[in-house]
Amino acid sequence: MTTEVFSTEFWTAFAPESILVVGLLLIFIIPNLGNSKFRIPLTKVHVPWFLGGRRFKLTGSPAIPGMLATATLFTALGMMIIETIDGNMDTTTVTSGGIVILQIDNFSRYFEILFLSAALLASMASLDRIPAHTFQGKKSLEEMYDNRRQADFYILMLTTAVGMCMVALAQDLFVLFVGLELASLATYVLVGFHKESKAGAESGVKYFIVGSVASGVGLYGLSLLYLEFGSLQLTTLAANWADASILGTIALGLVLVGFGFKVSAAPFHFAAPDAYAGANSPVAGVLATASKAMGMIGLIRVLLVIALPEANSEGSAVWLYALAILSVVTMTWGNIAALGSKNPKRMLAYSSVAHAGYMMAALTAVGAWRWGEIEAPGDYAEAIVAAVLFHLFVLVAFKLGAFLVLGLLEMEGGASRLSALAGLARRDPLIGTAMFIFMLALAGVPPLAGFMSKFLVIAGIVSASIGELWMNGTVSFSDIHWIWWLALAMFLNSAISVFYYLRIGVVMFLDVPEEGRRKPLPYGASIRMAIWVCLVATVILGLSGDTLIDMCYRAAESLNLS
Amino acid sequence: MSDSGIIDYAVLIPLMPMLAFPVILFLGRLFNGTPTWVKNVKEGGIIALTVMGASLVLALAVIKEHMHHVGTANVFTWFESSWWNSETGAITTKVFGVGIHIDHLTVMLLFVAAFLCFLINIFSIGYMNTDPINDNRNHRFYAEFVLFCSGMLGMVLADSFLWLFIFWELMGLCSYLLIGFYYERPSAAYAAKKAFLTTRVGDVFLVIGLVMLWNLFDGHLDYAYVFNKENIAAVDSGDLQLALGMMFIGAVGKSAQFPLHVWLPDAMEGPTPVSALIHAATMVNAGLYLVARMFPFFGGAELGALSTLAIVIACIGGITAVMAALIAFVQMDLKKVLAYSTMSQLAYIFTGLGSALWFANNGYDELAAFAMGASLFHLFNHAMAKGMLFMASGSVIHEMHHAHHEVAHHDDDHHDDHHDDHFDAQSMENMGGLASRMPITATAMFVGSMSIIGIPLIGGFWSKEGIIASAWQVALKEPIFLLPAILILIGAGMTGFYMSRMWFMTFAGKPKTEVAEHVHEQTAWIPIPLVTLTFMTLGAIVFAGMHAGHWLGDFESGHYTNFFDGIGYELEHVFLNHDTFLLVLTYVAIGLSLVLGPSFAMALYGGSLDDGQKAKPWMQWAINLSAKVNSRSKFDNTEWANSSLSNSLHKRLHFDDVYDAAMMKIVVGFSNLAAIFDTKFIDGVIKTIESTSQQASQRVRALTTGSARDYIMMTALGTLAIFMLLWGVA
Repeated sequence: MTTEVFSTEFWTAFAPESILVVGLLLIFIIPNLGNSKFRIPLTKVHVPWFLGGRRFKLTGSPAIPGMLATATLFTALGMMIIETIDGNMDTTTVTSGGIVILQIDNFSRYFEILFLSAALLASMASLDRIPAHTFQGKKSLEEMYDNRRQADFYILMLTTAVGMCMVALAQDLFVLFVGLELASLATYVLVGFHKESKAGAESGVKYFIVGSVASGVGLYGLSLLYLEFGSLQLTTLAANWADASILGTIALGLVLVGFGFKVSAAPFHFAAPDAYAGANSPVAGVLATASKAMGMIGLIRVLLVIALPEANSEGSAVWLYALAILSVVTMTWGNIAALGSKNPKRMLAYSSVAHAGYMMAALTAVGAWRWGEIEAPGDYAEAIVAAVLFHLFVLVAFKLGAFLVLGLLEMEGGASRLSALAGLARRDPLIGTAMFIFMLALAGVPPLAGFMSKFLVIAGIVSASIGELWMNGTVSFSDIHWIWWLALAMFLNSAISVFYYLRIGVVMFLDVPEEGRRKPLPYGASIRMAIWVCLVATVILGLSGDTLIDMCYRAAESLNLS
Repeated sequence: MSDSGIIDYAVLIPLMPMLAFPVILFLGRLFNGTPTWVKNVKEGGIIALTVMGASLVLALAVIKEHMHHVGTANVFTWFESSWWNSETGAITTKVFGVGIHIDHLTVMLLFVAAFLCFLINIFSIGYMNTDPINDNRNHRFYAEFVLFCSGMLGMVLADSFLWLFIFWELMGLCSYLLIGFYYERPSAAYAAKKAFLTTRVGDVFLVIGLVMLWNLFDGHLDYAYVFNKENIAAVDSGDLQLALGMMFIGAVGKSAQFPLHVWLPDAMEGPTPVSALIHAATMVNAGLYLVARMFPFFGGAELGALSTLAIVIACIGGITAVMAALIAFVQMDLKKVLAYSTMSQLAYIFTGLGSALWFANNGYDELAAFAMGASLFHLFNHAMAKGMLFMASGSVIHEMHHAHHEVAHHDDDHHDDHHDDHFDAQSMENMGGLASRMPITATAMFVGSMSIIGIPLIGGFWSKEGIIASAWQVALKEPIFLLPAILILIGAGMTGFYMSRMWFMTFAGKPKTEVAEHVHEQTAWIPIPLVTLTFMTLGAIVFAGMHAGHWLGDFESGHYTNFFDGIGYELEHVFLNHDTFLLVLTYVAIGLSLVLGPSFAMALYGGSLDDGQKAKPWMQWAINLSAKVNSRSKFDNTEWANSSLSNSLHKRLHFDDVYDAAMMKIVVGFSNLAAIFDTKFIDGVIKTIESTSQQASQRVRALTTGSARDYIMMTALGTLAIFMLLWGVA
């Protein structure tokens, strides 16, 4: 179905996104409702105007924005899941003046579900992490800070979600870029949200500076693309890519840098550990999962949709070697840096760098399929893309889950030293076990979700490299495509990573809690609930991820590879 | 090709006990010692009983449904992966999941396992909860008990050798835990370790066998694939024989056969319900189950190719049957006699299975089916009888303990010296004359012993005759088979001797100690399973009818669907065989086991009860007879008792000594070497890797300077690098 912007069909199709925007506006308006009146000039008639003045007690409660944001995200997410889960989804394309802007299909909906899940879990956790103090009486300075910035925080959170959804929907690189910047600018502020702490302010600014450099480079790439093709439409670019001059390749490299920063690929990842360490943990969790997925959308759109070699041509994609080297450097760098890191948040940041490397390796495998040599290469490419999508989603379960556990620890003090986790299993066995399971999932231990995703990715790469040689008798090394080595690198890196993931377990189960952390953990109903959701998803998706894997396949199909 | 119906719920049979395991454990930790937990829940016994009852009911429903046809069900698929072959276009899919497979073999063992687990659970509540030494730790017993049951039921229901192995190991673990239940006693800890390590030797071979099988069958271990006739025919039978042989060694370890039998007698250190359940009725049957599972391989492989393995299986059985019976001659410990008897009877079944496999592999399908049916039926009879015998022995031991406390006036405080004093409640030398004092137990023991001996018309008789006949029939065609055939025939007579000896020493004659005079049957719960199983054993002919009609049926040569025809067939086959040779053989076997063995036992150990004591009429005649034989014969065996053969029998034919010596010399020496290698080389390498990687990490992280300027520079360098790479290609 094709529709114009702001037509009736547009609103029906974009109901979940509209709800997000409405929720966003409500958070602007509701806390500001008050008794102010507007005097019609030159008369004595006072018309009630309600915005500003003395705030109403009910609507002015600092707890309102958090509730509102959570409810909005929940509603929108629910609508999307209901729409997508049975697989009978209509594709809706939005055009404006003949230019395709947005498209709702399985791919975009899948990512929107991912983004909203992450944002929802983070909002739930933030209800406790940045609590609103609604009780009467004198409040401390910190409590007043917390109350004042409730609305700001959730507005930024929803803005991030809206921006990310836009990236998922975009069919034009320029729209994609606008969405990306909308989300990015909101996250820059979120990272530096605790402006009174030095680490928070510094990391926010640093993240902004490095991020804007990367965005600038990316934007320059886009402008070169426009120069070359006269359009930034995905379909146009894909159709004309084969005839591109060297300018196209240069542009591709520059765009790669822009998205590389978002997925925190080495060497563009440097700001990430600082940012994660300075941000509060739920926000860091969103950066490590949703923000990374947003970057992956960019990479998938540019590399697989636009710059993939023709289905019936020999040879591989131009970007193959660049991405291969980038992926190996990224995963190795991330893992080695994480090995010695004593700050759990930085450790998770480096681990997230490593995970970016794994996914880039998978994308390389798609580029390396011997297009044209075998029948229906698209099916195999789809399998690999589906594996990447699955990995991105389960990351929300266990990486965000791990960040939320750190968030729970932040509620009683910092969580920036490994020793903060000491004796966690004894202080709170359930949370300790949950954290341990998240670590096992990150390390890829069966039967958890992390194993499944890693298995699918590695299996995808191996089948891409060995492909038709498999089962045809002996396979000699010279026959195997060199991307097989990527699978090996991934395998070795997984082995390295087990060290630092399990070290968390050792600290939690064997060490003695440090001074001042002997009491039971703070309670926090909603952050705990978010952790349980993550835990259940980690286990269930590992044991039986059929529904999700089917969704991944449908999403990958709607990319129309090959 | 999954069936639907009740089989969809079959997974609950092992799942329920498995879920009960943590529940009992945690509730036990929470409520230990509280009155409700001790009195009403019996420290978890009632929870276990409920769960086992539910499993039994479900198992019966499944059995009813699948008596006559094979059923499979897919329980859960974890993931599938497929490979595509560009030349043939074929897609190979491999499924990683769990499934249920039910055929006649499953039905048989499922009934045995579920039924006995339930009955022995009842017995445990009587036995464990009234002994003060178990106070406050019975929840551990019941938790491990249900976990074991889950393992056994799961193994039987599994649809692939892989899951069979997983549950097999689960049982091994529970066996270890339960033998060492009284871990504070060094002997129990030692026995647990010994059982675990000895069966481990077999398990290593089982794994090797399974890997070989996996390799032969193109990465499949599920029954649906490996039992497919075409797939079996495609495999090299020499390799197959080797793989199955390796698996058979695993079965030898689990079922305590020569030469891996040394752990079973020591395993009697565990509480008696454990001996009844694990080391008599269920787990030791796992090895038999594994061998019986191999049947389709023998039917499918080329004629005669696997005969050697069948002969080896039968020979191991024959040797063990006689060896264990010999050792049982001199045992004084009630439970150890039963342990050796178990070994010996399992050996019979192995011989029977060996015959069945030989027939199957040589094209005699009907005979194979008969031998298979006889073996499985003996498994059934033996499990019922031996479970009962162990429970009866537990009853005796339990009441001996009580009586001992009464006599020694220790009633007021049980705890102090319960196990410190030197009175051995398990030794038959301290018993005697219990027939009138414990009528239910004595009856159960009487019937059980008769079943094991093979007294005509009772329990094991039906099946043992079948096994002996099958073995001899093979021997007529294949001379090497004469060895097991002759051995088990001799063994029949020996069984008659040691089982009678046990019964007469315990129940006939005058009480040999003061304690034995004060024994009463008084513990609740214990009689229930004893009475049930007594009738079960007496009524084996009913099952024999079903056996002829059905248990052979799955091999497509079942003759009798009518129940009474089946019984008629059985009777005719046993007493009026058309084949003269078999007819003679039957009567020789009956003569040996009914007349020769028991007469010797009566002559040596018989005797009348105390004056005024009278046993129930169905046992009194045997006691009177034994007294008469004993007084007439004046048979003196002191010379025998002091002979070197007797000495070495006391030492269990020196197997344990030899194994211990071998351990000390070879294994410990190797362990020391390995330890040195481990600390010097492996640790050194690991530590070097660790410190190197930490240094690398330090260097890499030093690049994260914290200054945005540096980060931008790195970004620029990265951009440049990407340019170079793209340029190089383009």
